[in-house]
Amino acid sequence: MINRRHFLSAAAPALALSGYPVHGFTKGPVEGRIVVIMLQGGMDGLLAVPPIGDDDLFKQRKALVASNPLKLNPLFGIHPNFKNFSKMLKSNEASIVHATSFPYTARSHFEGQNVSQTGSKIPFSINTGWLGRAMDLAKITGKALSLDAPLLIRGAPAFDNFYPANIGKTRTPQSELLNLIKNTHDGEVMVAIDKLSQASMNRPSKLRARDPLSLATKAGESMRELNGPRVAVLTIPEFDDHSSIGSTTGHHPKLFTLLDNVFYQLRSALKEQWDNTIVLTTTEFGRTVQENGSAGTDHGYGSVGLLAGGLINKSSVVSNWPGLSNKNLYEKRDLFATIDYRSVCAACIEAAFSLDHDLIVDKVFKDKKIARIYEHIFG
Amino acid sequence: MISDKLLGQKMYENKNNWARKVGFGFRPDDEVPSNIDVWNSNQLDGKFQLFGLNKVGLWPEEHNFSIEQRLNRLHKHLRYVEKTEKEKISREEKKLRKRASKRKSDIHLYDVQKLWNSAVYGDDIFKQRLLHFWANHFTVGGSSGFRNYVIGDLIHNVIYENLGGSFDDLLYLATTHPGMLDYLDNTANSGENSKEAINFRKIGRTAGLNDNLARELMELHTVSPERKYTETDIKNAAKVLAGWGVNLSSFVKRYNKLKIQKGSPIGNMSLEEFTLSPYLKNKAEPGKKIIMGKPFPAGPKALRKLTDMLAQDDFTAQHLSKKLAIHFIGENANKNEIKIIYDAWKASRGDLVKIHEATLKVTRVTKGKKFLWPSTWMLQGIRVSGANFMKENESAGGFGRIRDDGTPIHEPLGILEEIGHSFWASRQPDGYSEKKLDWVSTEHLDRRVRIASRIFNAGPSRSGEEIANLLDFSDRTKVAISKGRNSEEKFIIALCSSDFMEI
Repeated sequence: MINRRHFLSAAAPALALSGYPVHGFTKGPVEGRIVVIMLQGGMDGLLAVPPIGDDDLFKQRKALVASNPLKLNPLFGIHPNFKNFSKMLKSNEASIVHATSFPYTARSHFEGQNVSQTGSKIPFSINTGWLGRAMDLAKITGKALSLDAPLLIRGAPAFDNFYPANIGKTRTPQSELLNLIKNTHDGEVMVAIDKLSQASMNRPSKLRARDPLSLATKAGESMRELNGPRVAVLTIPEFDDHSSIGSTTGHHPKLFTLLDNVFYQLRSALKEQWDNTIVLTTTEFGRTVQENGSAGTDHGYGSVGLLAGGLINKSSVVSNWPGLSNKNLYEKRDLFATIDYRSVCAACIEAAFSLDHDLIVDKVFKDKKIARIYEHIFG
Repeated sequence: MISDKLLGQKMYENKNNWARKVGFGFRPDDEVPSNIDVWNSNQLDGKFQLFGLNKVGLWPEEHNFSIEQRLNRLHKHLRYVEKTEKEKISREEKKLRKRASKRKSDIHLYDVQKLWNSAVYGDDIFKQRLLHFWANHFTVGGSSGFRNYVIGDLIHNVIYENLGGSFDDLLYLATTHPGMLDYLDNTANSGENSKEAINFRKIGRTAGLNDNLARELMELHTVSPERKYTETDIKNAAKVLAGWGVNLSSFVKRYNKLKIQKGSPIGNMSLEEFTLSPYLKNKAEPGKKIIMGKPFPAGPKALRKLTDMLAQDDFTAQHLSKKLAIHFIGENANKNEIKIIYDAWKASRGDLVKIHEATLKVTRVTKGKKFLWPSTWMLQGIRVSGANFMKENESAGGFGRIRDDGTPIHEPLGILEEIGHSFWASRQPDGYSEKKLDWVSTEHLDRRVRIASRIFNAGPSRSGEEIANLLDFSDRTKVAISKGRNSEEKFIIALCSSDFMEI
């Protein structure tokens, strides 16, 4: 992993997009919002944002490069399925961080997902999420759009989740009944029932759709409300494409389209609050540089992070590109991660919650060596 | 062995609670055993029958399906789809016909009902809980496609039937199950120096290793990352696994093709035998492989050698003893409790009856509490209350929930999906979490209240107050129940109380 000093010296050639107008956004004190999209299974960063200017890409990968990537700059292109995200890049509402990862190299989904949510280098060592701790520090609330409450958001002073029920012949439970049930519980169960009880009056009874797009809409809408949550967490599963991952079309590209539409949907639903928002993706690891025997890729290390939102002033592709020749790969097989993704998370927390970087890395990540890359991402 | 002194301090004097701690509770029409030790030992090695709905008759034999029947049904369906595609009919008509064929051929809804039925009406309730534990340990994620045809085979025919055997056998059977080989991509795993890979390279196609199953076999199913194996170990395990597995969609087709090949590579194997050993020599990696310091020869026998080595590894005993303890005792299972299961594992070299016996014994004296999985909680609610939850069509022979056209209805599976706990759902290979907080959220609790309401409306024979008295609920919960405004609310409070959710 890169240390602060190394990064600053290496950051000079970090590739910023050029030729796009800087939109007239002036930043005052804002009530920023964060949306995290967890890409479960390990997104192939080289397929999403191929380094088309690196000749080694085509030596390492025969089939797994989309035939018509959109060129971002001399080094990087983006998969053509990111249509909306590309527009956001052009209008200075999006940035990309490449060759990055949470500090985890052992290639297990479950350890990797744990690290990406706790932000701790040691898997299964703590029971709260980095986002939850940041919310605790800033005293703000959030919402997860899933049946369960993801580890990422635990530790926050207040969080809730939303996932519409679809059980026939049942009604939304009434708050009087819930309060009686609550009295039989302690701790987290009591708190959760209490929230359910408070929310039972205004829960939408008709909403049934639970696909990521509908949930993104719901997330954006509730984040627009007065006193609504300022954090939302979404999950897109099934990135673990060991076989038939696709190139121009196929399974991963389908997921890219879905992710691209989730960005679009969030922007549409957040409306004027988009200006105060940063959306970022996380994934537990990248995938192997070379394709495996079944036109897929196996568990790897470095990947890419996609960020969008009005809090970004100037789009850029932030990378300290390690190269793709065999000698530059991690253990001769994976894209090296030269940026600790916790730097990206810290920058988003700084942007949205107006907290000081040193405070974030100390209190949220308990690791003061995490470099500040705020300016590189947000411009 | 556990000392008599420890056995003296029984935490579960109330037999109804004991039956919930290690099973699904006793039904109102169950005879509560006079001697619980006899009941315990009978749970381990007794003979049990699977009843039909409401214990009327037995589970219909025609609703049990062998792996061979399942694959043949899938094959027949796919051939029908092929034929339908070529017909000159409207796209809508094609869609309708294909859907009807799928519904008729796909038997996983029977498998789901069998799982419900076994938990709610079976007498082997500890075994049923173990079945859920091991089905979760050997997770095969479902799909809208073809894996749902075979998941029930792994659960009902492989895991349940081997609960009295050794972990070595269970591991090998689960690893080589057509569903597992498909789920973790081993059907796409071929040796880099296999005949197939060499031929493919000549025509510009790729073929080679896919380490998905090899990795999870070591990380999740056996030794866990604690063992500190290397990427090379995983790669070499993938080489041993190369050649195992055939895509479910072409399983029967491939068998039929191999069968008629000159000097047939599968000899006289029947389809059933081939499902037990779906090994394709032309995809196998030749040569010796070294895994965790041990050599493995080329050929199909190496896999059994590998799973046996992993099954007998000390880290497997540690990993799985802890997992079992957590499942029954709860997250706070202590080291001494885990060690009792571990010692039984080591002494018996992985005899599941001995391991389960130790689990039962250590659970009998624990103070640990487990926040029940949503499905365990729900099935206990149905069973303990005596609710007639599965009651449609019972007059037609005691099976229930069957449509007029003879196919089972979707709702039981739908409910498992709604509570986030279906063994047929698409999910990650580490299975469902044993951690309480992973099941606590406003939405999860909303589902529990809704399910409790559904159970009430199915007509339970025990009321909320009766359940509270039967199970010695705390005064706090009894007070809350007394405040319920009607019998439905009282019942829901009882089932959704901490006393019922956590034991």
